[in-house]
Amino acid sequence: MTKEEILNKYDNRAENLLQILHDFQQNNSQNYLTKDDLKIIANYLSLPESFVQGVVTFYSMFSLTPRGKYVIRICESPPCHLMGSSTIIKEVSDYLGIDLNETTKDGLFTLELSSCLGVCGVAPAMTINEEVFGNLDSQKIKDIIEEKRRVK
Amino acid sequence: MAKRLDVLVCSGAACISSHSEEIRKKLKEEIENKNLAEEVNIIETGCMGPCQLGPVMIVYPDGTFYIKLSKDDIPKIVEEHFLKGRPVKSLIWTTGEAKKIVEEKKTVPFFEKQLKVVLSNCGKIDPENIEEYIGAGGYEALAKVLTQMSPDNVIEEITKSGIRGRGGAGFPTGLKWKFTRQAKGDEKYIICNADEGDPGAFMDRAVLEGDPHSVIEGIEIAGYAIGANKGYIYVRAEYPLAIKRLEIAINQATKIGLIGNNIFDTGFNFDLEVRMGAGAFVCGEETALIASIEGKRGTPRPKPPFPAQSGLWRKPTSINNVETLATINKIILKGSEWFSSIGTEKSKGTKIFALSGKIKNTGLVEVPMGMSLGEIIFDIGEGIPNNKKFKAVQMGGPSGGCIPAEHLNLPIDYESLKQVGAIVGSGGMIAMDEDNCMVNMAKFFIEFTMSESCGQCVPCRVGLRQMYNILDRITEGKGKLEDLDTLEQLGNQIKNSSLCGLGQTAPNPVLSTLRYFRDEYIEHIVNKKCRAGVCARLFYAPCVNACPSEVDVSRYVAYMAEGKLKEAFIVHMENNPFPSVCARVCPAFCEGPCERGKFDEPVAIREIKRLFADWAIESGIKFIAPEEPKKEKIAIIGSGPAGLSCAFYLTRLGYKPVVFESLPVKGGMMQIGIPDYRLPKNMLDSEIKRIEDSGVEIKVNSNIGTIKELKDNGFDAVFIGIGAHESLKIGVPGEELPGVLGGIEFLREASLNEKFDLRSKKLVVVGGGSTAMDDARTARRLGAESVTVIYRRSKEEMPAQRAEIEEAEEERIDIKLLHNPVEFIGKDKIEKVRLIKMAFKGFDRNGRRKPIPVEGSEYEIPADLVILCLGQRPKLSMFAEEVETNKNGTITIDQDNFETSMPGVFAGGDAVRGPSTIIESVADGRKSAISIDKFFGYDGKFNFPERTEVKTTYNEDDYLKMIPKKTPQLEKAETRVRSFIEVNKGLLLKEAIEESKRCLHCDRGKEILETEEVHKKIEEAI
Repeated sequence: MTKEEILNKYDNRAENLLQILHDFQQNNSQNYLTKDDLKIIANYLSLPESFVQGVVTFYSMFSLTPRGKYVIRICESPPCHLMGSSTIIKEVSDYLGIDLNETTKDGLFTLELSSCLGVCGVAPAMTINEEVFGNLDSQKIKDIIEEKRRVK
Repeated sequence: MAKRLDVLVCSGAACISSHSEEIRKKLKEEIENKNLAEEVNIIETGCMGPCQLGPVMIVYPDGTFYIKLSKDDIPKIVEEHFLKGRPVKSLIWTTGEAKKIVEEKKTVPFFEKQLKVVLSNCGKIDPENIEEYIGAGGYEALAKVLTQMSPDNVIEEITKSGIRGRGGAGFPTGLKWKFTRQAKGDEKYIICNADEGDPGAFMDRAVLEGDPHSVIEGIEIAGYAIGANKGYIYVRAEYPLAIKRLEIAINQATKIGLIGNNIFDTGFNFDLEVRMGAGAFVCGEETALIASIEGKRGTPRPKPPFPAQSGLWRKPTSINNVETLATINKIILKGSEWFSSIGTEKSKGTKIFALSGKIKNTGLVEVPMGMSLGEIIFDIGEGIPNNKKFKAVQMGGPSGGCIPAEHLNLPIDYESLKQVGAIVGSGGMIAMDEDNCMVNMAKFFIEFTMSESCGQCVPCRVGLRQMYNILDRITEGKGKLEDLDTLEQLGNQIKNSSLCGLGQTAPNPVLSTLRYFRDEYIEHIVNKKCRAGVCARLFYAPCVNACPSEVDVSRYVAYMAEGKLKEAFIVHMENNPFPSVCARVCPAFCEGPCERGKFDEPVAIREIKRLFADWAIESGIKFIAPEEPKKEKIAIIGSGPAGLSCAFYLTRLGYKPVVFESLPVKGGMMQIGIPDYRLPKNMLDSEIKRIEDSGVEIKVNSNIGTIKELKDNGFDAVFIGIGAHESLKIGVPGEELPGVLGGIEFLREASLNEKFDLRSKKLVVVGGGSTAMDDARTARRLGAESVTVIYRRSKEEMPAQRAEIEEAEEERIDIKLLHNPVEFIGKDKIEKVRLIKMAFKGFDRNGRRKPIPVEGSEYEIPADLVILCLGQRPKLSMFAEEVETNKNGTITIDQDNFETSMPGVFAGGDAVRGPSTIIESVADGRKSAISIDKFFGYDGKFNFPERTEVKTTYNEDDYLKMIPKKTPQLEKAETRVRSFIEVNKGLLLKEAIEESKRCLHCDRGKEILETEEVHKKIEEAI
């Protein structure tokens, strides 16, 4: 989808800002919003660019820096913490060789945290893009990451 | 189109996370292969609740509940069950220990106690098919409302039902609608708050994914009632499946005219849109949510005006939670009276709770308001996994509070929870066990709210940061006692002065843990101790932290992995002079929190210890007695583990103490209270001899008079370690009959009287602790005809070690659980015991199930000897006047230095604690030795080598795969009951070394590495 096509899906009312941002970001192969995107959107909705920037930085799911094809979001909610998410975070980070909010050199994975994925029944949990994985342990995270690497 | 079988495959997010999708595909494939497509219906359903058992599937009409399915199980199920009508039993849900196969859904306890109102459709209908919803009575309520009721009627009906908002605050829904309806405005809005951000709550997701139309129907009814023609559902972006299903549902409803213009030809128009969040917890707050829908930063604004007056685009707006809205259609159809008949006086209807954390059945449960917390946790949730102890439950996520074990009988409703400092909130219940540190949890919650604070108002932005800093300091062992007051003051200020609900509730987890677990905070601050073994900066490794005497397990295991027995032994001796004894009878507190256990099984620490301990005895390693002892003279009363440990460590501090023992044998309870088959006496005697050789004089058969006499005889300090040797009474008729005796008296008799013969005798042992097991097993070895143990609770609550209970059962000891004696009957001596059956009802203050006698269930059993093992207390007769005692007859001490009310007189072990363990007594004795040294004005420091990290040479990575722990061989039950031969044969040295290599070295990076110098110092220490 081109950027124009996305914009045409929505009226040029300010209330559509979040939805447009979501669509732009999803449409970007590196899962992020460019400076140019913000400018185009601000222009379309007749909003100050600073306002758009302010909204983007407020919400944790929007990124202004390029991200991997797979965005891994490990749940750091208290139930997941209780069931060992801090170990999972460390192990994924070690396994991929990146810190939080960093992207692997091959551009495949970005590691982020989520405040709660709402699958506390299978804590500790994480999502990769929209796919949910629960009851994680050291072996499982390696298998999942390897599987993604194979698929690419 | 009724088919022979309906197969419901759960496709909630949790089951999808365990690949239910694959199961469904495979199922379809197999069914087509077997030409069963005409007979079997596959239905994808929303969350069924028991998430941790996923993927799950139910087969109707028989109601077989399959769990933990894998793709490979499917062909078998299709072949055996669908084709041949034989359910595959190995995959059906089994419950509890009994492994009773539950074949029908209605008898699974997880469902039995539940009342599904809101979740009634979840897991039953296909959420992506509106016809199934309509088939289940969907949209009838909307039709009724639009055709038969005025908006005011609707509001009245909802008000009468008593339903309160399920999102957290519990505001009456009817009232909220009334305010919005009455507010002036040309346009009004209804918003469904589906920004379910509370960690630990996931019921909204389940409802949106499993029954989206019920939410839509509720929104439309609400819209009609308040006068709104436009609605929004604000869903968090973390729920893509919910968003997808909502959009499908809205499209389908629009297509058949249930959304849009002139619905049911009544002239009512309604338009509904889904709005997606973008990862901001604060947007669950209603004014922030409104800002977010308007396309702005999601920051809250002060109230009033409330959204009912001025909400979305400043128009009157009602914001209701998903669960609330999904309840509305049921109230309309079944009536407010039906709804208000469920629940308590002020909390009506059912509530969905989300169970997570340390609980066997995680997932969603829907129960009538007012059910007790214990029923939810222990009956529906089946309690805590891995035999751990329940500690507390966090209710209402980061806005709520914790509820400790003492409140398990509490009915769960809005008012009761408020009283104990928690809230119903959105219904998240996070269970915590003994391995969870409450200070760390509180810190974690504050960290969460701190990072989710929108930053707009100062109390929340700055105040939470300050609270976090203090908590962080405490968990690092750098806290001050004043910090606790500061936390409380700060917490209350943040609550009172923050702008929105986030800040107003954020301090709650800290305030409530301070209320119920203040002692844990104090322990962190004063003792630098985290009893749960979580705050890693306070200890080297969880095993060391868990040991009452802080024996450096991590180091001796590392030495053992290298085959260095002597070094391992020395490390042990620094904190506990009874390695051989403890290798056999210690409950091994160290193994419980072992990190390896989280991976496969804990390291068999106790068995490893036995190898170097016995090696040291064989090698005759001695500790040199002080050559020029310090001038002060110290008397120790009692030669049990507390007394002898105190004596040994006094020699290491340069004294030559004298131990007075009233019995003819040395070792106290270790000698007379533990039978040979568990602790061979030669091992004990060797360890006592080693202590004597280190500079201790033990005088047996010496009853001392008073402490004053000792002092008059030139002793400058005294340690009382007399143990607890007087058995407690039970207080039922007939207790005084000959043939009824105490557990310790029996063991003493068996140990000192070689002619004790029980052949053809029937024995009844009352109690469930180690003494009861020892008595029963000793009686079996002395030839008793029958041995029956009576215990008033269930096996899980028995204080004895698991292995002891199992071994006793192997030895044909009959353990009658949930029984209690009510009378001992006999003329001149005991002849019969009258028993009553017990049943659990509710919970006691410690969170244990409370046994209540079952009326009319009494019966009698014959008995020639009754042994009462109900615990002991110290026999203090001789100096009861001299030192202060507690109500239960134990000695009062200053917890910091073990000093009694009499200066220079110290006490420890069972005499202070009541019946406890050897290792706790050792710890007391050792710490008392340090206190005594300080009492004389010295520094209380041992000349042990500085702690160093042990270098290992084996390839540690080889041991990071699953390796089961090594278990020793046991003497066969048939042979061992004929003598007092040791039951546990121990590991081979080779096995112990391999086992040691399983250690994950939690202490790494906390200390300097070992050097040659250390080894030299170890040599010198001997």
